[in-house]
Amino acid sequence: MRNSSVANQISLKSVTKRFGRSAAIDGVTLSFKRGISVVLGPNGAGKSTLLRCIDGLYKVDSGSVSVLGFDPYVENEVKDRMSLLTDNYALYDYLSVKDNLRFFGRLYGLGDTQIMEVAHDILKELDALEYIGAKVYTLSRGTKQKIGLCRSMLNDPEVLLLDEPTAFLDVNSSGTVRRFMTDYARDGRTVVMVTQKIDEATRFNGRVVVIRKGGIVKDTTTTGLYSAVLDNALVNIRLAKEASAATLKRTPGFAGVLGNGSSALAIRVYHYSDINKAVRYLVDRGIPIVSIDYSEPLLESLFAKG
Amino acid sequence: MDFAKSYAIAIKDVKEVFSSASIYGPMLGVPLFFAILLPVLTFYVAIYAAPAIASRILPEAVITAASVSNPNSLKFMLFFTVNVLGPVFLTMPILTASVIAADSFAGEKERKTSEALLSTSITIPEMLLGKIMASLIPTILLTVGVFALYGTITNALAFRAFGASLLPTVPWILMLLTSPFLAVATIGIVVLVSSHVRGIKEAQQISTLLVLPVLIMPFVSILGIADLTVAFFVYAIAALALIDVIIVYVGVKSFRKESIL
Repeated sequence: MRNSSVANQISLKSVTKRFGRSAAIDGVTLSFKRGISVVLGPNGAGKSTLLRCIDGLYKVDSGSVSVLGFDPYVENEVKDRMSLLTDNYALYDYLSVKDNLRFFGRLYGLGDTQIMEVAHDILKELDALEYIGAKVYTLSRGTKQKIGLCRSMLNDPEVLLLDEPTAFLDVNSSGTVRRFMTDYARDGRTVVMVTQKIDEATRFNGRVVVIRKGGIVKDTTTTGLYSAVLDNALVNIRLAKEASAATLKRTPGFAGVLGNGSSALAIRVYHYSDINKAVRYLVDRGIPIVSIDYSEPLLESLFAKG
Repeated sequence: MDFAKSYAIAIKDVKEVFSSASIYGPMLGVPLFFAILLPVLTFYVAIYAAPAIASRILPEAVITAASVSNPNSLKFMLFFTVNVLGPVFLTMPILTASVIAADSFAGEKERKTSEALLSTSITIPEMLLGKIMASLIPTILLTVGVFALYGTITNALAFRAFGASLLPTVPWILMLLTSPFLAVATIGIVVLVSSHVRGIKEAQQISTLLVLPVLIMPFVSILGIADLTVAFFVYAIAALALIDVIIVYVGVKSFRKESIL
């Protein structure tokens, strides 16, 4: 039980991981404390490679990785205290859900009764208990993702690494998984999730590390991410009833009317607080708002100036 | 070394292989089919066409062995059963082990399940032991079963026709004893190539190259280049044991986690 009380549960120092000539991770120094942290980046940014280096699947070319005070590539014993959910759910298709969970539970040194008790609770919470006897290949991708999450939780890990955990889930299931992750992190666990969706990254109101081309572009928070995303952005506001053209035009940041009527408008914002000003203006005039949305900028251009 | 983890891997792999008819179907069906068909054909040839066929395809040494009226057919059948059918059935451990081992090693890579597997605390030796057991034990059981079936059918036919059993002979038993060594060599090759191939098919194709020297054996025997005697099989087992140790040692030593990721 080395270093379970250290502030940084995960620590990477100048880590480089190459595949051939290209560096998937290039000199990254980063640490994660207890709670949820999100790593955000476009396709090919090195997010999954980063998780696999933390999980000890890849031997890093230079630098060092430490999880709970152990080198996860060499010191296998730490694997009993951590877990990885990959983006491809990693289950054996021709085995039943029960057989898959039993197998992985046994590798974690658990007895069959204990495995099934833990699995029962998790699957019930994820609304997937009915599939326990089904062969994995008969399940939808979303259900496989839930089973994969259950598999990664069997050993009650102190460090949970998640690669796009809600990628194939519907809205309700995504919400369930997010709530699950939040509750888990609240118990003093370390949860690191990678995603390529800004919307997903902002769901946890915590730390967000933006990576691109194998390097850290920004180490920020949800608030910082919103500041970047909503800097010189167009925000669409839909109203429950039509408003006069003059009222709409006087809305702070007004950028134009949407559609043919006058029940939707666009405003240009330079900071997320600008949305509040516009909303307050409309609400003060008795105009109810139905929805507010914006187009996410391309991740490739986010924090382009570093 | 936690043997419980190796055992869990072995059970999982065997369950996986035998839960897919597309994998175990041909693996079981083809040997069983040949185990029945080939002795019956041999019996037919021995009884009804041995002298004529022998004079056409067999060298002088074999024709001489089959040239005395009724014992003729008996000797022909014994020769064919051990020297020709034996090596054909000896390809079974190679083919079976290559199917299971390729699915076990390269299959994890192809299906990307290895990431979850290697995310647990299982060590490389524990994993390799489990996967070798998963490939070796069914292979040996299947080979013994196939030899027993083809031996039983051969004996039944021979007893009906000649009133005498043909098997087992010492070379035939030694031939059976070479099968675990051939299976281990096959598995070792799969371990070796698993880091260089992308999927199951490539791993299988490379490892099944081992059938070539085995399939040469009937021709070597028919042409009189070498006799499949007790001494031949003793030397073969010793050589295979040495080759197994080298292949498995190099395979295990060169195996890296990344090999199957």
